Amino acid sequence: MTIRNVRDHGQRYRPRMACLKKVENVVLEMQDPKTGVKSQTQRLVITTIPHAITGEDIVAWIANRFKTDAAEARAMGTMMVAFGYIYPLQDHKRLILKPDTSLYRFQTPYFWPAQQWLVEDTDYAIYLAKRNIRKKGMLELYEQEQYNNLYKWMNHKWDFIVMQAKEQYRAGKERKKPDRVVFDCQERAYWVVHRPPPGTVSAMDYGHDRMVDPNMEEKKTPDYYRRIIMFIQQCIMRPRVKSSVSIGALIKYTTTYKEHDPFLHTCLPSSPWITDDVTYWTLNMPNVETPTKMRVERWTFSFGELLMDPRGRADFRLFLKKEFSGENLAFWEACEDLKWGAAETMKEKAQQIYKTFLARGAPRWINIDGKTMDITVKGLAHPHRYVLDAAQTHIYMLMKKDSYGRYLKSPVFKETQKKAVAPESHRFTETQLEQNAKRRRPSLSPIILRQQEEEQKAKLAASGPVDITQVMSKLERKQKN
Amino acid sequence: MSRWRQSVVEIQTRKRQVNECERAQATLSKVTACFQQMATSLGSNMDGNFLREELEETRTVAHKICSGLHRRLLSLLIEMEQGQEDKEQVERLWVIFLSSLENFQQDLKKIKVLQEIFPLTQRKDRQALINAGYAGGTSEVAARAAMVQTPWLSIEETASPDLKNHIVEIDVLLEEMFQRVNVPLWSVEPTQQAWLEGVSTQDGGQEEDESLEDIMEVEVVSQNNTSGCCNHHNCKVGCLLCLLS
Repeated sequence: MTIRNVRDHGQRYRPRMACLKKVENVVLEMQDPKTGVKSQTQRLVITTIPHAITGEDIVAWIANRFKTDAAEARAMGTMMVAFGYIYPLQDHKRLILKPDTSLYRFQTPYFWPAQQWLVEDTDYAIYLAKRNIRKKGMLELYEQEQYNNLYKWMNHKWDFIVMQAKEQYRAGKERKKPDRVVFDCQERAYWVVHRPPPGTVSAMDYGHDRMVDPNMEEKKTPDYYRRIIMFIQQCIMRPRVKSSVSIGALIKYTTTYKEHDPFLHTCLPSSPWITDDVTYWTLNMPNVETPTKMRVERWTFSFGELLMDPRGRADFRLFLKKEFSGENLAFWEACEDLKWGAAETMKEKAQQIYKTFLARGAPRWINIDGKTMDITVKGLAHPHRYVLDAAQTHIYMLMKKDSYGRYLKSPVFKETQKKAVAPESHRFTETQLEQNAKRRRPSLSPIILRQQEEEQKAKLAASGPVDITQVMSKLERKQKN
Repeated sequence: MSRWRQSVVEIQTRKRQVNECERAQATLSKVTACFQQMATSLGSNMDGNFLREELEETRTVAHKICSGLHRRLLSLLIEMEQGQEDKEQVERLWVIFLSSLENFQQDLKKIKVLQEIFPLTQRKDRQALINAGYAGGTSEVAARAAMVQTPWLSIEETASPDLKNHIVEIDVLLEEMFQRVNVPLWSVEPTQQAWLEGVSTQDGGQEEDESLEDIMEVEVVSQNNTSGCCNHHNCKVGCLLCLLS
C-alpha cells in the first residue's frame, strides 16, 4: 500500500480527459521548425495552402520521438486525430491516421478540445445555421435531424442563433480566399470530432462527469486532513490476504476464463461492437432454446455460473425435476425472490415459503439440519429480508456438492451439450461492414425483456411444482393396482 | 388632451429606444462574430502582438456596447407593464442579449486559456505556434468590427476592464439579469422560421461559395492518379464531379 493509493480515496478515479494536456504538449513539440514534423504545401486548383503534413511523416516522427515501433506510433497518431488535434484533408469523416501520403493539417488551438468545458449545443446550432446558409439547405441527413432537434429545443434562442450565424458568415467572408478554405476545413473537422456523423468514431466519449476537477490541487483545510485520517484508518482496518493466495486465485480465474473473454479472444461469430452484427447477442439471449457451446462450457466452471445463467438454471431445473428433487432449487429461488423483492410483500412471502418448504409435512419439504431449522424458525417470528439466509446457504451447498456433480454427468446435460451451437466466425468485407453500420438499431427495450421474464416465471408457476405428496400418492395407487 | 399627447410622446420615445436597442444588438452580434473569427488565429502561425492588440480593441468595443445595451434594456423592461405592445419585442431582445452575452463570455474564456498557453513573451515561444495553414491576417475582420456605430459609443465613457475581470463582470451581469427581471425564457417566440436562412438570397456572392467545397475535393485529383478521384473504395470515377466522401 503506497501513499498514492490512499489519495485515490476509493473513488476509482477515471482520468477522463486529463490526457489532453499531454497531447497538447506533443503537438507543440511537433511544431518546432528544426525537430518537428516536415510540412509541405497543399496544391489546390486556385491557390496553395501551406502546412500540410503526410500521415507517414507523422508516424515516423512519433516513432522517433517516443522510441516505439510503427504500429504503436500509428495508434498514437490515430488517437491525436480522434481527439481533433490533427485533421485529415481527404476523407474528413474518418478520424484515423493513414501511414501513407494522405495529407493532414494541425488544428488551430481555438478548436482544440478542452477538459474544462463541454462543447455547447448553441455553437453547434450556429454552425449548422451557417452551413445551411452556405449550402442553401443541402445538408446531410444526420445534420438535418440535428438541426430540427436543436430548432425544437432551442426555439427561444433561435433569433440569436440565426443572427449570429449570419454575422459569422459575413465576418468569415472578409478574409482572403485561402484562409477561408482553411477556416472552413478547421470548423468542419472540429464538428466531426464533437458531433460525429453516424459511423465515425470520435474520442469524445468519456463516460460520467466528475464532480471535482481532477487536475486541480486540493486546498489543505482541516476538513481535508480529517478526511485523510479517516481513510487511512479504514485502510489499516481492512482484512488482508497473502499475496500468493490472491495471485493464485487470479491466475486460476484468468486461465479458466481466458477464452471466454471477448476482449482477449475472438468472439464467435463476431463482436457486435466491432462489426455491428448482433448475432452474438441474439444467440446468447437469457432464455434462448439452444445455448452456444461456450456458454455450456461456462456452466462446468462453477455452480455459481450455472445458477446465474437463466438458461443454465432452466437446464438444472429440468434435471432436478427428473430426479424429483426440484424443491431445493425452488426453495433457493424463493429465498432470492425474498431477498431482492419488494418490501411490502415480504411478510407474506416469508410465510408462504415456510408453509411450502419448511413446516412439518409441507408439500415440498426440504432437508436441512436441525440447528439451521431452529435458527430459521426462530427468525421467522420477526421476518426480514435475510431471515432465510442460513437455510439458503445450506441448500446452496447441498446442491453444489451433490446435485451439481450428478447434473454434469446426467443425460440432460449431455443432451444440451450435444445440441449446443458453435457458430462460425463472420468474415465481413468493407462494404458489408458499412451496411451493418447503417443498419444499426437499438436493442430490445429493458421493459420488454422484463415482461418476457415475468411471462417465463408465470409459465413455470403454472406448470406446477412436483408435489412430493402427490408423487407418493401416485406411487401408492400404482402399487395398489 | 395634453395627457393623450403625453402618452403619444411616451410611446414614440419608447419605440425609438426599442429600435435603438435592436440596432445595438445587431452591432453586438457583428462585433462578437468578428471577435470569434480573429480568435481562431490565436496560437496559430499568424498569432502575434498585432493580433492580440486587435482582439483587445474589439473586446473593448464589445464591452461598451454590452454595458450600454444592458442599461437600456433593463430600464425598458422595468418600466414597461404587462400587456404593452412592445413588451414581446423587448423580451425577445432580452433573451437574444442574454444568449449573446453567454456566447461572448465563452469566447473570452477560451482566449484567456489560449493566451496562457501561448504567452509570446520570448523568442522561442514563436516556435511553438501551431502551423495551422493560415497565410493572411485578420485585419479586414478587425476593421469590420471597428467600423460599427452605436449612438452611445462615442458619448459614454465606460472604463473597460482587462480580460479576467471582464469574464467575471459578465458573470455578475448575467446573475443580475436573471434576478432583477422575471422574463420566462421559454415563452419567447422567435421571428425566424427553421431553414429560412438558407433560402434567402440577401447575402450576395453565395454562388462562389459553392466552389469552396469543390475546391476541397478537387485537390485530391492531383494527388492520387491511380484509384480514382478520392480514397473512397467505391470510387472509380476519375473526374472532378465525384461526390463520394
